Order: sequence, then structure tokens, then C-alpha cells
Amino acid sequence: MMKICCRLLYVMLVAIVAVSCIRKEPLNAECDITAVAIEGDILNRAPIIENNKVILIVKNNVNVSRLAPEFELTPGASIEPASGTMRDFSTPQTYMTSSEDGKWHKVYTVEVRRNNSGSSNLDFNFENVRRVSALMGACSYDVFYEVGANGAETMAWASGNPGFALTLQGTTPSTFPTFQSDEGWTGKCVEMVTRATGSFGEGVKKPLAAGNLFIGKFDMNNAVNKPLESTQFGTPFTNIPLTLSGYYKYTPGAEYCQMNSSTGKLEPVAGKVDECNIYSVFFEVTDDMEWLDGTNVMADDNPNIVAIARLSPDQRKATNDWAQFTLPFVYREGKTVDPQKLQEGKYSITVVFSSSLDGDYFSGAIGSTLMVDEVFITCQNQ
Amino acid sequence: MKNLSRIYISIIAALICSVSMSAQDERPKGIEKSILLGLEYEVNAGLNIGGASPLPLPAEIRKINGYSPRLNLQLGGKVTKWLDLEKKWGVAVGIRFETKGMETKATVKNYGMEIYQDGKKLSGKWTGRVKTTYHTQQLAIPILATYRFNDRWRVNFGPYLAYAFSNDFDGYVYSGYLREGDPTGNKVSFEGDSRATYDFGDDLRKFQWGFQGGMSWQAFRRLCVNANLTWGCNDIFNKSFKTVSFNMYPIYLNVGFGYVF
Repeated sequence: MMKICCRLLYVMLVAIVAVSCIRKEPLNAECDITAVAIEGDILNRAPIIENNKVILIVKNNVNVSRLAPEFELTPGASIEPASGTMRDFSTPQTYMTSSEDGKWHKVYTVEVRRNNSGSSNLDFNFENVRRVSALMGACSYDVFYEVGANGAETMAWASGNPGFALTLQGTTPSTFPTFQSDEGWTGKCVEMVTRATGSFGEGVKKPLAAGNLFIGKFDMNNAVNKPLESTQFGTPFTNIPLTLSGYYKYTPGAEYCQMNSSTGKLEPVAGKVDECNIYSVFFEVTDDMEWLDGTNVMADDNPNIVAIARLSPDQRKATNDWAQFTLPFVYREGKTVDPQKLQEGKYSITVVFSSSLDGDYFSGAIGSTLMVDEVFITCQNQ
Repeated sequence: MKNLSRIYISIIAALICSVSMSAQDERPKGIEKSILLGLEYEVNAGLNIGGASPLPLPAEIRKINGYSPRLNLQLGGKVTKWLDLEKKWGVAVGIRFETKGMETKATVKNYGMEIYQDGKKLSGKWTGRVKTTYHTQQLAIPILATYRFNDRWRVNFGPYLAYAFSNDFDGYVYSGYLREGDPTGNKVSFEGDSRATYDFGDDLRKFQWGFQGGMSWQAFRRLCVNANLTWGCNDIFNKSFKTVSFNMYPIYLNVGFGYVF
């Protein structure tokens, strides 16, 4: 009898194990463009690949009406028109990718820019924003962009807003750290507010998000892991910058806090007052450093930095009302601009605004508010 | 949790009392009378080992990296009514208080996930590692057909109904990436210390039913050893809950002993 029962039990266990086997791996559901290549030495920067957009920055003499970019995709995914199809990129072209399992599709806009098109416009008035919705429409935030003389978009500003969306603390654009305000120096302006990031932020040890706006790209993939590397600064620049000027208004938040590195929570620091930050960095682009990021954008030992314009410590404090700033680009010792490289687009520039000076290290005061308007880069006449 | 230990302590105390009472081998009048009616009483205790598992494992689960059954206690009692004089066939009705739980670590691909924060949720598809803790406290009523082979061995089989008065299903995701919304959404990596917690406890069912079957071995005159497999027939989650795209069934082996009056 015992034997029969044991056997019965054994059969049951075998049955459970048998149906619980790991099954064949499902086909991929993702359909990303993971890399882009173009025949010939025509790119001036590595391709900028975002979730629905690719920007290719080409050298000045390239004929953009006949280009055949080749795409590397998530394994098993396909693209239409096919990789390597010759197309006219005088205007942005769209492609549709499909996942290996055939259930998912994504539309990519592929845009080809010349070196200087992004920065030909040297004054920034923050009048143009588009509202981008995130998390399946649960929230939306502002993306600032610049338009050229013909009304076409020449450059989109980056901010940490897409990362903040993940914290679910934002709903409408003005609840995000970076948004457009009607109370500019003239017309509208950009307003940046240091925000708390809630329990998600504490969990991933990023308890606050400073409002920021910068020229470059915000890399979502690194937003949680390596936030300093998620801010990728710079766009090609073919002029020699002399000053960065504009108007700003700054009100520090009530209580300066820093993060407790073991709990991820904010702890007040007595006697300290938050400061804002406005700066611009002009740098040389090399194969090993195409852009700057939070780890090296101001580093003294960064050999690529040519010149920096920044607010002085006194200017980083509270202002009574709108205040004007004119910041000279201070060239680093021994650094000069090579006209040949300048012409070839081997230099980049970034402009950065932040409502908390140490926001990149998750210290600052919740509620610190920086407004910036009418920014202008003066350049040397060529 | 305090409440739970109080329940345990009082049930154990009651058990000890009744055992020591009966140990004097003088059955109370009531029980003696019951025996004449063909009724038999048993109190029992045991451990549940098992888990809530999808059957078969869905393709999204690529690897099980760890499993711990946790300590799940069961306490209960049952009454058997023998239907014939030889006491071959009987019907038993029981009541048991039990905890069921498990802790698993798995590697998943494109797995439906909702990360809860401050009362809101961030949903998407997760590829990477997931740690899950499942814990439920239930009151179950089994109705069993019993067949006795001889003085030592008997088997039983039948349905059970259960009500969960405490439900937890939570954990966290780590070492992987989330696609916001669906597989075409923004990709966000979580490496190193970065983790995001989830909690599906409120989406677990309160009422469950299933089948159980097992055997009992009369080791001594009053003491028997029991082994029962309980197999839930409901998904542990409510029907309206879609994030976990596959059904999970509670399957537990209960091993314990009983005291027969």
C-alpha cells in the first residue's frame, strides 16, 4: 500500500515538473533601430538615435538628396523601406520598423542635418514648445525647439522631463521640472523648478530632479542607472563664441537638502541656500569624446574643453527681479581654435540652465525656480 | 502578523489541551456518543510546501533563478462520517486555517509589469530579473470522500472552498530594462542598485476553490501522518487584472500529523 501511494505521489510530482518546463523563447517584441551606418566618410558625428527619431549630422559638402542609410535593428526585426534604400533627405524621411513577432511597429523619422544648421540661430527666446505626451497619455510635458528663418525647426532643446515622467509625479507640463511660462522678460520664457521625485525617485536614489534645459540629448536608457551620463551635451558649432548673454530670475527653494546615500531620502542641510547654474561650454570633438556628459562637462582635466562661459558664484544667488547676464567665454590656457577644424564642424557647443547647482548629484532645494529668457551667443566675426 | 500569531497560539493551546485530555484515554461522553453515530474527529497540523505557478510556465519566464517555499503552517480539524459498518467509505468535512507562500527569483522577457508609486502606476514590459513574494492566509473547507483500506491506510479526495483574509503578492524588478507602456515605448535600464517595486496584493482573489487528494497513515492508535496535494482551480488573480498575462494556480503539498479522537 505504501508503495502504491509513493508511486502515486511520484507521478504527481513528475507531472508538475513536466508541465513546468521552461518553454521555447518567444520571438522578440521590440523593433528598435540600434545602429545606423552610411557608406563613405560623410558623417560628422555618430548618429543620434532616439526611440522614434534618428538624426544624422553630415559634413558640409555632402549631397543629402541621395543617401542610403543602413540600419541595424533588434534581432529579427524588419524595416520598410529596406535598409540601404536610396532616398532624398532634403526633408526628413520616415521608416517603419516591425518586430520579429510581427505584433509591434514603430515609425521613425530620420533627419539629416549639416554641421551648422542646428546652431545657425544664435538667439534663443523660448517662444516655441510642443507638448509631448508620455506614459500612454498619462502625462505631458513641454519640449522647447528653435526655428530657422524659413520657420522650420532647427534644433530641439533637451531636458530631464522624460526621466521625470517615470516618477509619475508629473501630470500637466507645468508640474514637470522644465516648462514654458507666460511671464518672460519678453513674451514667453523657460521656467525650471526643482521637484521631488516621490517614492520611485527615493527607490532608485534620485530623490529630486532639478529643472534643466540644455543643448544636446537626454538619454532615457541611462536616466535611472547613470543619470550623469544621461545628459549628453553639445551640437556642432562653426563659429567662435565670445559671450553668452540673456536674462534670468532666480528664487531658491526654502530648504536645502542633500540625499542620504543609504536611504535615498533627502535630508536638510542647515544654513545652506540653493544656487542656480547657467553656463556654456565650447569644446573640440574627438573620436573618443563626441559629446560631454554630467561627469566631465566642466572638468578641469577634460582636454577637449576649449572655453567656458558661466555665472559667477555671486550671480548664482537669488535675484530680486529679472537680471541681465553677459558671460565671457574664458578660453583655457593653451587652447586656440583651429579654423580648419572649425570649418569642418569639429567643434561643438552646449548651453545649460539648471535650477539647482548640485541637482546632478541630487542635492538642492525643492521649489527652487529659475526663469531664463532672450539668450544670445555673440560670436567673433569671420 | 500579531493577529496571526495569536490565532496560532490559541489553536496550538487548544490542541495540546485536547490531546492531554484524551491522553488519559477516557473519552468525553460526547465523543463516545459520536462514535456510536459513526462519526470520527481529527485535529491536525502541518506544513504547506509549494507555490503559485502558471501551468505550463509561460514563455515570458526564461529562467527560475531561485525558489524558497517559506514556512507555511496549517492547522485544522475534520469530522468523518462513516457510511457503512465496516468503516470503508466515509464523507469528511473539514476546516483548516493555513498560510501559503513562496519566494521566487526569475529572469523574464517582455513580461507585463506595473510599478506602483504613491498610488499611481507605471506600466510597461519588463525584460530582466524579477523577485516575487507570495503570501496568503486562508480559511479552507474541504469536503472529501474517504476510503479506508485497512486499519493503517486511508485515502481521500474532494473539492475545497477557501477564503483569503490576507493576501500579498509583491516584489521588485532589477538588472534589466523597462519599455514604457508597450515594447515600442521608451527603454529605461535598471542596473546595479536600481530597482523598482511592485505590489499586486489587491488584485488577488478572495475566494478560491480547487481539489485536494491524499492519504493518511495511522502510525499509532491516535496519531496519523497525513499527506495531501491541494490544487487550486482559480487563477490566484482577479479576472479584471491583466498585467500578469498568464494564470497562476496555487499548488501545495501539505504534510503533517493528526490526532484522532
